[in-house]
Order: sequence, then structure tokens, then C-alpha cells
Amino acid sequence: MKSKFQVNNGVLLVLVAALAVFPFVSDSRTWTILLTQIFIFSILAMSYDILLGYTGIVSFGHAMFFGMGAYTTAIMLNKFEASLGVFFFSIAIGMIIAGIISFLVGLLTLRLKSHFFAMLTLAVSGLFLVLAEKWRTLTHGNDGFTFRAPELFKDRVMFYLLVLICLVLVYFFLRRFVSSPLGRVLIAVRENEQRTKSLGYKTLHYKVIASVVAGIVASLAGSLYAVSLRFVNTSVLTMDITLDALLMTIIGGVGTLIGPIIGAGVIELAQHYLSGLAKEHPIFERWIIFFGIIYILAVIFFPRGIVGTIRYAFWKRKNKDVSVVLNTSKVKEVAK
Amino acid sequence: MELIINLLINGLATGMLIFLLAAGLTLIFGLMDVLNFAHGGLFAWGAFSGVWFYGLTNSFTIAIIGAIVTGIVLGFITEKLIITPVYGNHIQQILITLGFMIVLSEMLKVVFGPNQIAAKTPPLLSGSWELGEVIIIKYRLFIIIVGFVIFGIFQFILKRTKIGLIVRAGVMNKEMVQALGINIKQVFLYVFMVGAALAALGGVLMAPYSGVIYAEMGMEFAILAFIVVVIGGMGSFPGSLLAAILVGLAGSFMAYYVPALSLAVNMMLMAIVLIFRPQGLFTVKG
Repeated sequence: MKSKFQVNNGVLLVLVAALAVFPFVSDSRTWTILLTQIFIFSILAMSYDILLGYTGIVSFGHAMFFGMGAYTTAIMLNKFEASLGVFFFSIAIGMIIAGIISFLVGLLTLRLKSHFFAMLTLAVSGLFLVLAEKWRTLTHGNDGFTFRAPELFKDRVMFYLLVLICLVLVYFFLRRFVSSPLGRVLIAVRENEQRTKSLGYKTLHYKVIASVVAGIVASLAGSLYAVSLRFVNTSVLTMDITLDALLMTIIGGVGTLIGPIIGAGVIELAQHYLSGLAKEHPIFERWIIFFGIIYILAVIFFPRGIVGTIRYAFWKRKNKDVSVVLNTSKVKEVAK
Repeated sequence: MELIINLLINGLATGMLIFLLAAGLTLIFGLMDVLNFAHGGLFAWGAFSGVWFYGLTNSFTIAIIGAIVTGIVLGFITEKLIITPVYGNHIQQILITLGFMIVLSEMLKVVFGPNQIAAKTPPLLSGSWELGEVIIIKYRLFIIIVGFVIFGIFQFILKRTKIGLIVRAGVMNKEMVQALGINIKQVFLYVFMVGAALAALGGVLMAPYSGVIYAEMGMEFAILAFIVVVIGGMGSFPGSLLAAILVGLAGSFMAYYVPALSLAVNMMLMAIVLIFRPQGLFTVKG
């Protein structure tokens, strides 16, 4: 097992290095911006996967944490000076706000069953959307506002590198988190909450911790997103953001961390190319319809997503001689 | 006084539209244990197909029938393709019905175009009566009457007929109903189709009421319907009527007196109910 992880890390290191030198090799502005966008949504999708893939809870309100980060950074850069210090400070403040809100919301809602939790998160994030639309003196409502980014990020490449660093840090932090004893309990909650409870774990506490971690990471993604656009409006709080995270996680592979990153890449790239195809045939303007269909098929036929399916195939080939029929949860466990 | 009566009628009319949506949702949840996040899509399809039929034939009756048929057909497709494969798995149900919601609302834009469509009120129902100071818009009264008639019919079917008996028994204990030799899967399909037809009816009635229809209205109304179902108690038919009227009235009065809170008040209502009484105000005795 140990050697396998080292290979994995080696591959990752090469990939990250390649991505890091990419903007210096190619001077395509479009690609730098597109990759920045992919990295930001990878962070968001990974945070969503902590909830969906590792703890087994469906939240329809994830956009609110993303929006909190985006608004905190945008407002602070707008009201104070557009310096690096304020930028990093605003990220920290955004994370703290998201952490507190996700703690309170989680404490109130996570004791409910999955249906009710999904609906209540939908409603709470709806409340935040309304708040942002009505609190015009601070947010300028639906029109949004532009702001100056720190001087250093005028250079797209610098911002690209910062986002890449954030992505790598978040990846390693979350990987450590899910393989910690605490993360193992979360997986146990996903597999069988009742049994975990009867083993003596207070599952509510663990679920709240998962939602706080997911909220904080989503807020970081939001902060970076706002700076990448230098503009923020209420669209950062809408259901579309949650749907994006959901699609990326499901298509990439739930219950893995690489999966959401790949999902984010696939979806952002496909979105870029399919909306470019709109000139050929008007149906491509509605590119999201293809994702809807793929997503439905994925939920029915490939609930493991791209990464999960590949890992499972590898695992099956390696263990051909295992004659014992394992149930799916055990397979998933081993596939990790 | 006349202001209060007008707000009352507005609230009741909106409440009835939400009730049509929530009635199907609550029956489907009560019986099949499925929370259909695609229900708003069926509502929007009802509105668009109704307006299309109305433009084609200029007859509101045909528009309503057309919308109901659309609802039944879509309900059949949804149940067979989307609900059956993930039966019994809550998380997959939530995910897949939400995915189908996206497909439904995007399909609307493909078929009818991405822009808002204006919807006319049929001449027989347009205009208003003036009783002294009070102005009663005919169409709103029409919606309220339709809502109560539908409630009456369904209450009769549920309480007085054999199929209603099976549905009510299924809400309480579906395994036992199946053990008694009734094909509960078949009943699921019928209930789902009826629920979809009610949503489509709500959609076509909504169209002249709001004047314009757009694809996103499905999700907007679905959220209200979820709130109603939660407040009224999952699976309770009278509960969903009362909760729908409550939500409609709260919306119309708040929009007049405290407009800033009008959107938030329903969400807060639901949050309070969920936290303190998660089973809803009315529960189905089992």
C-alpha cells in the first residue's frame, strides 16, 4: 500500500509542476483564465464532496458559503485598500464567518433526515440570497459591484499560481482530514449511521464538523472566485453554484478527492467548448441539458463517477482471484 | 377593509396554486417515500403546454385538458425512467430528481425558446366585479373555486372510494397493503401520474394569473410547495391545503406591509416548523 501512495504523490507532483510552469510556456490568456476557473471550482467541488461523498449528506445550500467568501473579500477590498494584506485578511474573515454560520446551521438542521435537510439547506441559502438582494447599501443587490484587486494580481499568472497553491494545499489538507480517525468516522456515518451511533459515536457532532470544514473550504473558493472576476453580484449565492458543485462531484466521482477536480475540469472545459459550438446548432446554447442527462445516467449506472469507476476496475483486475463476493460498501472501502 | 379583502383574495388565489403543486408532492411522498425535486418542472411544463394549446385553439378548456395530458404523460415518463431505478435509496432519489428538474427546465427552453412568454387571460374570465369599494378580479376567484373543487373531489376519492382506501392504507403501511395482494407498484405509478397532472393544472392556471411564464418559475414554485408540504405534514392532504393557504396569505400580506420580508417569511416559517415540529403541523395517523 505504501509504495502505491508514493507513486500517486510522484504523479501528482509532476502534474502540479507541469501546471505551475504552464503559463510561462504558453502565453494563451484564455487557457490561464480557464485553468484558474477550473482550480477554483475544484476547491468548491472537493469541499462539497466532504459532505456528499464522505459523510453521505446532500446539501442544496452549499452556494451560501461560497457566496459568503466572495462577498467578504469583495466588500473588504472595496471598502479598505486593495492590498495583499487586506486580501489575505478577508479570506480569513470569510472563513471564520462561513465556519460560524455552517456550525449554527449544521447544529440546527443536521439532526433532520436527508429529505428535510436538503430542503432546509435550500431554504436557508435562499434566505441568504434574499438578504444579499435586499441589503443594497452593502452588496448593491443584483447589479453587483466591481472592485480593485491587489496590484500583484493584475498579472493573471500570479493569480493563477496563487490559486494553484491553494488547490494543492486544500487537496492535501482534505486528504489528511478524510484519512484521519475523524474522517474514518464520517465514512462510517455514510455507510451506516445507525450502527455508528450504536458504536457510541455522537454522529451529529461528526456531521457538524464535516459541514464546518466543507463550509470553510467553500468560502475560500468563493474569495478566490470574486477576485478572479473582480466583480461580485448575487449570482454567487444562487442554486446554480450548488448545482455546479453537485455535477462536478457526481461526474468526477463521489467519495474521492481527485474525482471532483477531474469533474471540475471536465465540466468547465465542456462548458467552454459547447457554448462555443452554439453557432453551429442552437441546441448547444442549452449545453447544460447534456450534463443533466449525463448526470442522471451517472447516478443510475455509474454512481462512483469517473475516478471511482476506474479505481474499481483496477481493483477488480488486481483481485481477480478473490472469490469472496464482497458487498458494494466493502468494495468502495477497498477501492480507496 | 377593502384592502384586507383584496389581500385575502390574492393570498387565497396564490395559496390554491401552491396547493395544486403541493397536493401531488405530499401524496407521492406519503405513499412512495419519494421527495420529487422535479415536481416544479412538471408545473412549468403544464404552464408552457397550456399556453401553447391556448394559442393554437383559443379555447381555455382545451388548454387545461392539454396541460393535464402533458402532465400525465410526463408523470408516466418520470416514474418509469427516473424514480423506479433508484427506488428506496433516498440520496440517489434527491440527486436524480434534481437532475431531471434541470433537464425538464432546459428542455422547456429548447422547445419553447429561452424567453418569457406572455399569457393572456381568457375573455370570459378577465375583468373584475366591483362590489362597492371592493374590486374582485374574476380570474382570481376562478382559481380559488377550482382549488376548492379539486380539494373536494380528491377528498371524496380518498375517503369514499376503494382506490382512495388503498392509497390511504399505502400511506400508513405499504408493506402490509402489498401483503394483502394489491400491486402497490401500480398504485405508485397512478398516484405519480395524478400528482404530475395536478402540478400541470397548477401551471396552466398560473399562466394567466402572473401574465408571463418562464422556465425558472418551476423551481420558484417548487420551493414554495416544499415549504407547504413540510408545514402541512408530509402525506397529509388537508394539511397541505391549510398550509398552502397559510403560505399564500403570509406572502400576500407581507408583500404589502413588510415587502423586504415577503420572500423570507415562508422560509422562516418552514425553518421554525422543521426545527420544533419536524413531522409537520398535521400528521397522518398510522
